[in-house]
Amino acid sequence: MSSKDHRSISGALAAATCTLLGTATSEPVQAQDEPGWDFNTALLYYAEDDDRVQDLSLNVLSRRVFVDDRFLSLGLTLDALTGASPNGALPQSVPQTFTQPSGRKTYTTPAGDMPIDDTFRDSRVAITANWQQPLGRLYAINVGASASVEYDYTHVGLNARISRDFNKRNTTLSAGLALAQDSLDPVGGAPPGLTQMRNAVDNDDGDGDGDGGNSGPDESKDIVDFVVGVTQVISKNLLVQVNYSYSDASGYLNDPYKILSVVDGTSGDAVPIAPVPGVDSPSHLNFYEHRPDSRRKHSLYSQAKYYMSGKVLDASYRYMTDDWEIDSHTVDLRLRWPTGESQYLEPHLRFYSQSAAEFYRPHLTDGDPLPAYASADYRLGDFDAITAGLKYGWKTGGGNDMHVRLELYRQSGNIAADQLIGNQLDQDNYPDLNAIILQYGYQFGK
Amino acid sequence: MQVRLLLEVLLLAGIVSGCTSMGVEPWERDILARDEMQLTTDAVEAATDDHIYFSKEASSGGRGFGGGGCGCN
Repeated sequence: MSSKDHRSISGALAAATCTLLGTATSEPVQAQDEPGWDFNTALLYYAEDDDRVQDLSLNVLSRRVFVDDRFLSLGLTLDALTGASPNGALPQSVPQTFTQPSGRKTYTTPAGDMPIDDTFRDSRVAITANWQQPLGRLYAINVGASASVEYDYTHVGLNARISRDFNKRNTTLSAGLALAQDSLDPVGGAPPGLTQMRNAVDNDDGDGDGDGGNSGPDESKDIVDFVVGVTQVISKNLLVQVNYSYSDASGYLNDPYKILSVVDGTSGDAVPIAPVPGVDSPSHLNFYEHRPDSRRKHSLYSQAKYYMSGKVLDASYRYMTDDWEIDSHTVDLRLRWPTGESQYLEPHLRFYSQSAAEFYRPHLTDGDPLPAYASADYRLGDFDAITAGLKYGWKTGGGNDMHVRLELYRQSGNIAADQLIGNQLDQDNYPDLNAIILQYGYQFGK
Repeated sequence: MQVRLLLEVLLLAGIVSGCTSMGVEPWERDILARDEMQLTTDAVEAATDDHIYFSKEASSGGRGFGGGGCGCN
């Protein structure tokens, strides 16, 4: 071999090395090492039947990836809500008139109908920000803040989570803490619990909030959430997670817009109020609800992801119990089923069952002493719910992800017969719920 | 309450010690690394679902923090 050959070979090697290095420097193999933004967006339409709540929601979660597995996530949600919500009163064989939350007008529910307050309208803006980064070789931390604003509600929160990998990163232990403070400024003021629904006053009561309602102070509640969990790789295609969480809410936990019918102890019918000329008053006796000012919840959550020749099963179960004596069970099943090179179908089933809060009752009885706490909010009652849905996802020509999903949600409640009196036994007292969830999602920039 | 806490700690310790014999080698993670094998495959969908169910049911959280920040419950 001549020296000239040597030179040409070493030159070629040098050129090849530089090409490789150059390529490696300008185009890292790992996408996560390349700083840049990616976006996860979704438009959600949620609608309940019988002209109840509708929500149009725009969600954007943007993520800036930095080198060394560091991430900044920023989220924005905009909700536009309209519709009506059951106010807690029982249906009657005669029309019922109620005072609007604003305290300035009344609304009337036809005979035989479930009373719903149709003055509900709101918009909501929520933002989140989170920073995640490794801490040493085996730890990772995530710290964040959240805030949201509605017409009558404001939320601010902070959260932090730390995790550590063990056992060749097959086991991850994590712990997290979230603190939130929410303040409420209900339309018409926060009514004192278990007091009679007021008459409508068709003028400003002069307290500066432009309504004719109670002039009570703003209310607030504090929420502390604590979560510990373990995530375990079982095999090449099976991953499981188990979390325990504790949540403590204290402060004003009433729903200021919910009431209970006061009924006759024999007939079970709501007690009528004699109309006074010139006064716009409720037609029947109703009291505002009243809940305890603290609530402690314990949840145990487990989830498994199982890969079976292309399909992925996602199964989870949650048990929750609290000191309001509500117990609930939630089972969630999803099966991601590839239907081609870059598309999939995902059927989804969710089963939910809860027992009633200890102070849940469909009504108050005229003449009986008032209980310490009472609510007829259907969400604190004994009910079962099922969600059935289908999602279709595909990759666009540009390599981005899109999906649409349609789900049906149905709640059906049960009120124990010993909680019902007289005519109530012959009617439907629980506001069953049917809703659709339609979502379009687009992820890009990955 | 203290007995319950002790049982939970023992359960967790059991899970962790039992877990050391499970798992895969780093070069066997091709399936586990796929997007669809992450515990949360779509953070936005998970958040919207949590928000819907928080508004309509008396339970929340489990997967993460309890959610909320809304006057709907």
